[in-house]
Amino acid sequence: MGPVPLRSVLRAGAAGGFVLIFLSLVGLIGRFADLNLVGEQVTLGRVLLFLPPFGAAFLVARPRVVAGERLAAGPGAGAGAGAVTGVVTSALFGAAVAFADWFDVARIRQVFVAASPAVIEFVTFERGVAVGVLILLGLGVVAGALGGLARTGQRRVTGALAAGAFTAILMGLLQRIVPVAMQELGIDPDFLYSGRTRSLTWGGGVGLFVLAGGANVLWHRSGQETREKVRATMAQEPAARTGILVVLLAVLVILPVLLGSVISQVLGSVMVFVLLGLGLNIVVGYAGLLDLGYVAFYAFGAYMMALLTGATLNTTTGSAAPAFSMDLNFYFAIWIVVVLAAGMGLLIGAPVLRLRGDYLAIVTLGLGEIVRVLAESRWLQPVVGGPQGMRGVTNAAIGDYGFRQPQHFYYLALAFVVLAVFVSWRLSASRIGRAWNAMREDEQVANAMGVSTTKYKLLAFAMGGAVGSLGGALFAVQIGSLTPASFQILVSITALAVVILGGLGSLPGVVAGALVLIGLPGLLREFEEFRLLIYGAVLVAIMVLRPQGLLPNVRRMRELHEEEAAQDEWVRRFAEGADEAAAVGALPGGPLGVEQEDLT
Amino acid sequence: MSVDEPHLLELRNVAKHFGGLYALSGLDMHVDRGEIVSVIGPNGAGKSTMFNVVTGLYGPDEGDVLFDGQSIVRFAPNQITRMGIGRTFQTVHLFPNMTVLENAMVGQHSRSRSGVFGAIFRPPGTRREEERIRQRAKESLEFFGSRLAGYRQEQPAFSLSYANRRRLEMARALATDPLLLLLDEPTAGMNPRETIELRDHIVRMRDERGLTVLVIEHDMRVVKGVSDRVIALDYGRKIAEGTYEDVANDPQVIEAYLGTKAAG
Amino acid sequence: MGTDQQVRVAQLGRLERLPWRRIILVILGVTIATTVGVGAYRTLTLPEGQGYAARAWGDFIVLGLAQGSIYALIALGYTLVYGILRMINFAHGEVFMFGAFGSYFFANAYEESGFLERQPIVALAIILGVAIATSVVVAVLLERIAYRPLRGAPRLVPLITAIGASLFLQNTARGFFGAQTRGYAKPGFLEGRWEIIGVAFPRIRVVVFLVALVSVVLLTLFIEKTTTGKSMRAVAEDSEIASLMGINVDRVIVITFAIGGVLAGIAGVLFAMTFEAVNFFMGFQPGIAAFTAAVLGGIGSIAGAALGGLTLGLLESLGPSLILTGYQVPSPFQLKPAFTFLVLVLVLIFRPGGILGTGEAEKV
Repeated sequence: MGPVPLRSVLRAGAAGGFVLIFLSLVGLIGRFADLNLVGEQVTLGRVLLFLPPFGAAFLVARPRVVAGERLAAGPGAGAGAGAVTGVVTSALFGAAVAFADWFDVARIRQVFVAASPAVIEFVTFERGVAVGVLILLGLGVVAGALGGLARTGQRRVTGALAAGAFTAILMGLLQRIVPVAMQELGIDPDFLYSGRTRSLTWGGGVGLFVLAGGANVLWHRSGQETREKVRATMAQEPAARTGILVVLLAVLVILPVLLGSVISQVLGSVMVFVLLGLGLNIVVGYAGLLDLGYVAFYAFGAYMMALLTGATLNTTTGSAAPAFSMDLNFYFAIWIVVVLAAGMGLLIGAPVLRLRGDYLAIVTLGLGEIVRVLAESRWLQPVVGGPQGMRGVTNAAIGDYGFRQPQHFYYLALAFVVLAVFVSWRLSASRIGRAWNAMREDEQVANAMGVSTTKYKLLAFAMGGAVGSLGGALFAVQIGSLTPASFQILVSITALAVVILGGLGSLPGVVAGALVLIGLPGLLREFEEFRLLIYGAVLVAIMVLRPQGLLPNVRRMRELHEEEAAQDEWVRRFAEGADEAAAVGALPGGPLGVEQEDLT
Repeated sequence: MSVDEPHLLELRNVAKHFGGLYALSGLDMHVDRGEIVSVIGPNGAGKSTMFNVVTGLYGPDEGDVLFDGQSIVRFAPNQITRMGIGRTFQTVHLFPNMTVLENAMVGQHSRSRSGVFGAIFRPPGTRREEERIRQRAKESLEFFGSRLAGYRQEQPAFSLSYANRRRLEMARALATDPLLLLLDEPTAGMNPRETIELRDHIVRMRDERGLTVLVIEHDMRVVKGVSDRVIALDYGRKIAEGTYEDVANDPQVIEAYLGTKAAG
Repeated sequence: MGTDQQVRVAQLGRLERLPWRRIILVILGVTIATTVGVGAYRTLTLPEGQGYAARAWGDFIVLGLAQGSIYALIALGYTLVYGILRMINFAHGEVFMFGAFGSYFFANAYEESGFLERQPIVALAIILGVAIATSVVVAVLLERIAYRPLRGAPRLVPLITAIGASLFLQNTARGFFGAQTRGYAKPGFLEGRWEIIGVAFPRIRVVVFLVALVSVVLLTLFIEKTTTGKSMRAVAEDSEIASLMGINVDRVIVITFAIGGVLAGIAGVLFAMTFEAVNFFMGFQPGIAAFTAAVLGGIGSIAGAALGGLTLGLLESLGPSLILTGYQVPSPFQLKPAFTFLVLVLVLIFRPGGILGTGEAEKV
């Protein structure tokens, strides 16, 4: 097994086994057993059976630092160690399956509702427990070996294979969306998707795999220098940057026309959350104030818009007029909402000025909950409709052109997103942004240097609240009616996840985060049941593995992960394609340190 | 300096305690315009506490602090900075992930005004102000010569060497356009050559920029080389005051340092 | 030249020199005191039939203390972890929930088989044991997987992780056990009321209070007297120096989480028996309330957590009834969570260290 210690193999293998058991008990495997991805053979359930041993082996085969020397296993050793790990994983899982079968699944079901004979059948490949476990072991060996190879093999090959597999699986998952979009564009999707199995055809699957893999190879082959040059040009030439932005904008505008109304609906929701993310980015990303109650602004924006544009209360007997109501035009009301929300931001910010991070988080959480409770209460029911909510929010029509229809709404939301992005960008690049940065890095010292932390914290809450309320107001227009159920703490957490996933302080990151956390689940409705489970896992994983987010703001990356990011960059550039042994000799004890047991 | 013109900085009977520990007690001292005054004393004598009280980090439990005749004890640190007192810290407190230039530009914050409107729309007034902030920041950085000039200014502050970090912190304080500059052990950790260079910088601060400087120092070569006046503290009160020679030979001072006198 | 440019010290405007913070605090304080006072007065002087009878007040107080005891038990877990790691274990509510759920299956089985009635003490002991074991396992796993890799990271990072872990654990429970609420059994001798000094107290609530009291005392003794307890206090003060003194910091942290788990498990059983139900979401509100209680009492202090818990329970119970009724607010108890948080906000404004803390904000 080369430099891979047995203890590590056993630990990773056991972890993988427990992950498999977890996936079964929580219902993922059962639910997706039949979800065809490619043809009828590659189902999501089977992919889920494959991933834990693969992943465990991938971890096991990593290079380690032993007594100052960096030792990486060769492909042979890697595959071997991986295979053993995979076997351990499968053995553990197989034992669990056998036990479940012996013990009587029905009794297990009394505790774990996902356990069922159908699941047992699936994981034993419908051949009975004995044979099934053997197959599982075989699968473990193969998956493990592949995992080990993926880690220890040539970067170019493994990268390409990974890209190919990822693309194929993703396109398989999007089986309900992509064919429809293609049809809207006038392309016949039959060569790619089979109408019968609703999955990728084998031809399509293999084709995508090859295409994506090839693209990956080409991208890497074009060499480090070319890529650097492209990146540098993009970063420095103003003309190039504007050009790219214009192209991006054009794409964004054309999107709903191309993709049809279902996807446009999802995109509209994405835009709303981009707005929420942008606002929260000002508070958390720029000013460093952890706000867990952001839903308060969202709710305020929504209800205020409703009240200002003549919405009515839903009552058990029909509808009633709210205690306070006006009938303004959307384009007039929206600015009133924004200004009032800024005021609310000041109100919320004022009591929390002196609070430290954790306290601030909990207090803002509480304030968000207060808003929800008030919205649901009988006390304020004459104003906001209580649990039944309101209906009849304006559709922001200009003449006859209403904006509630998904594609139209998308444009309305996009316009405001562009505005918010512009404002955020300008703020961050100004004296105010500088003050926020200083405050975020060292509050006391910033104060000593003349920055009034009181003023800038309040400003952050005000601006963040204003943008967030925009999101709420648009949400009200999108749906046309409101209930307090839409304003749970989950919204705050999701908004925070969007900002964190994308990268704190990064504007492209907010968009990326919203696309992943709102867009993907919107498109992949099958996962709705597990959406929150995945959110939670993603949050933890991101924080542990890559706290700077997907598209990090360079400055932030330094703050959160500086040394490690620099090390990664260094190692990557150094070790890419180079001989591992040469890398060993060239790595001083310094930045990569002997204290670290593993180098990822 | 006429008798009726107030001292630039004056502490009257200032006391400050933390729990049972009296960091400052009955402290009377003053600094006049154009002076360079050094504050010396053994560790724990209350020197940094005095700085913190003056700059508003916390208020005194007794007594008063007057800046140009006005009491400043109730004001917040950022207000005091705006009034004209700048400072550095005993341990360097830069904004590590901001660039060198940005660190200095923060110093100019209290000398500028543009707000949200200016940030979003960037009218000519805002753009001129930004340019001016940039210029003043650069001037402060270039006060230390080529060390903080050129390409260095775009580098993140955490990448600087120790001595450069100390210089940056001083440049940042300079950028606040102060009347009175408080330097807290500016040469700590520097080698002899850097120390001498810094000593000259301090004098230049007064001569070229008209600043009044109050320095906390341990290195007696610096104290001797820059001070118009020296104040010695121990246990939170003043035990000696005068020229360097007066104070260095004062028996109380010698005793406070337990008989050790740094070569000087 | 420099001297000519800065002849005069920059002046602060007259508005800026006002001590705004103090002014606002005073106004706020007076407003609140008046609101509370007037509300209470009006409630208490409501005519018969509109207000609350004396017995109702008694019930409120008992309810408040019992609920507060549960909060206290959970709050202890928060405060212990915060004392050592300076982080809020947002997922502690889920540790509590898993304890309740884990024990549910045993409680249910024992009730159906009659064991609960035949041997209530033994059954209870086993149920508690299972709850404690489950909670401890979850707590320790949480520390190992989500928190240990992040030691030393900036404050934001572990907090976000904790939130993610909380979401994950909630939905794991939902995936494992289903989304419906299950009814939780209670041994016979805990049904009904006891007569103590002429007043009838619901038995379960008395037991909750006593258990919490005993737990707090035992915990305090443990922290003060045992070696492990001393190690915990050392690590809480300065983990670096503690490790230099030969204390295994990792082990101490695991033990801290485990103890928090034990208390949460007990709280889980008590809560489930009081409200006769468990579901995957049950940890959220008590979790937040317990953290509020810990902060209210003074975070990092055991006595603070206990005191904060009881105080919060009483405030939640008496607040809406005593104050809001006076203002004719319909369904005042709907606003209970709002009340909780309002209390938290106010405490942190006026006394950031909590009831038992010093009056000053903690210097960063």
